[in-house]
Amino acid sequence: MNELFSQLATCIEFGKINKTAPFPPNMKDQEGSHEITLQLLNQGVSADDILQKALIVGMEKVGVKFRENKVFVPQVLMSAKAMDAAMAHLKPIFAENNTMSKGTFIIGTVEGDLHDIGKNLVAMMVEGNGYEVIDLGTDVKAETFIAAADQHPGAVLGLSALLTTTMNNMEKITKAIKEHNQEVKICIGGAPVNQEFCDRIGADSYNPDPQGVVEFLNARAS
Amino acid sequence: MTKKEVVKMVLDGKKPPYVPWDCKFTIEALEKMKKHYGEDVDVEKLVDNHFIKLGQSSGFKIDIGNNRKKDIFGTIWDMTYEKDIGNVEGLVLPEPSMEGYQFPDPNDPILYAGMEEKIAANKDKFILYSIGFSLYERYWCLRGMENAFLDFMMYPDFCKDLLHQIADFNIAVIKNVCERYPEVDGIYFGDDWGAQKGLQMGKDIWMEFIYPEVSRMYANTRELGKYQLIHSCGDIAEIIPELIEAGVNCINPFQPEVLNVDEILPAYRGKVAFHGGLSTQKTLPYGSVEDVRRETLHLLDLGKDGSYIFCPSHATEGDTPIENIVAFIEIIKAQKK
Repeated sequence: MNELFSQLATCIEFGKINKTAPFPPNMKDQEGSHEITLQLLNQGVSADDILQKALIVGMEKVGVKFRENKVFVPQVLMSAKAMDAAMAHLKPIFAENNTMSKGTFIIGTVEGDLHDIGKNLVAMMVEGNGYEVIDLGTDVKAETFIAAADQHPGAVLGLSALLTTTMNNMEKITKAIKEHNQEVKICIGGAPVNQEFCDRIGADSYNPDPQGVVEFLNARAS
Repeated sequence: MTKKEVVKMVLDGKKPPYVPWDCKFTIEALEKMKKHYGEDVDVEKLVDNHFIKLGQSSGFKIDIGNNRKKDIFGTIWDMTYEKDIGNVEGLVLPEPSMEGYQFPDPNDPILYAGMEEKIAANKDKFILYSIGFSLYERYWCLRGMENAFLDFMMYPDFCKDLLHQIADFNIAVIKNVCERYPEVDGIYFGDDWGAQKGLQMGKDIWMEFIYPEVSRMYANTRELGKYQLIHSCGDIAEIIPELIEAGVNCINPFQPEVLNVDEILPAYRGKVAFHGGLSTQKTLPYGSVEDVRRETLHLLDLGKDGSYIFCPSHATEGDTPIENIVAFIEIIKAQKK
């Protein structure tokens, strides 16, 4: 059993989706996250154990390597694909059992900004670490963030901006959310964003990489 | 000494009489400048730039209505928010296949429209032909950015083939430019590889997929006797040696937030020049006039021995206070007084 958990975590870490996937070349013809997840389920392992003991373990390794510039966006996306292949089997079980996730994370790129790669990377990493992610997309207005937060009490919000010109909107949206409900926690990120800006606009957490968001959420969940 | 000669001195690794400059402004920044200097201000004349750029920095596009443009590769651009370049809408190649796709014709007159007139009017300037989105960016415009990243891993043969064909197209255009317009001094390749920290795709992938094709394009340009200048946003410090080896003469935009300008410029002086340096993520939008003056003067001092061309580290954005724009323009122009 532990061997299968370890193999599955490796598939996530290195982005091995299934047996026919050509990537990574050094795992050619080996089973991927799709097959190993099915094997574990067939052996009666719970979906939650698979998530906690294999998938999250693999995703956390990817997150740390990405932070340390040991892997890059392509490898993270492959890991997310491998994660999706596993989650396709687990999600129906979680839904049927009404299993609670570790929490809810609502993310969007702020109004006026259509860039989504950074936002998507954060969403993938957070979901891969056991959270329900609600992705509001790009060009998201303050009222949309506020409505989503109202619908999901206790959820943490994530605001993304790539441009200095849309950081102004990040500030306005953060203030509007806080004015509506001071208790809502807000994470911000994006190339030009930094801790000083975070402090100035009254957001709760700035992280230069997705793993930082995961760690912020984990600290709150524990 | 003409502006062209001053720029050539810099690109040849010699000490120029002053630090040349070439500064660009977004549409929103230009609106601010018009309000300040007057509606009929000729910004090119006011700034007194040293380059004249022909071609297109983000592709040849035609208006198709509804705030959309279509470029010659078939990509649709939504111009609603980002009014200078636009944002890609939809995918030209949704699958990793070029079946049925027709590359644009390198002899399309749109690629060379108006060049004679611009050259004739700017003979004292350093004349560049701009090929924007020259490789990787063109690839992801066709395939979508996430697909592009996945293609490196899942469909490497297709990826290399498409990149090769994009480079072939550029090489054909450059050949035409050089044959038809001998006055052109250099080719300006735009292709954003950098992120805020490191390369978007990492160096290994860049070396495997991007480097062979940029080397081929740059070798072609050098054989035609032209200088080559490149633009890549972000932290590209780790590939500067490879770019020099491939024959690059100048690197833009030299972003101070991600590159250590004080270390990099002296380290590579004489081997490659840098164009840019004035912070557009911090100093220009958020700094005071004094901050802008201090940073501009520091850059001019850093670059006085050569290998440096001044400009903000991106087209100056609309969030820059007009006072900060006026400040750096006054300082760079004062060098020649």
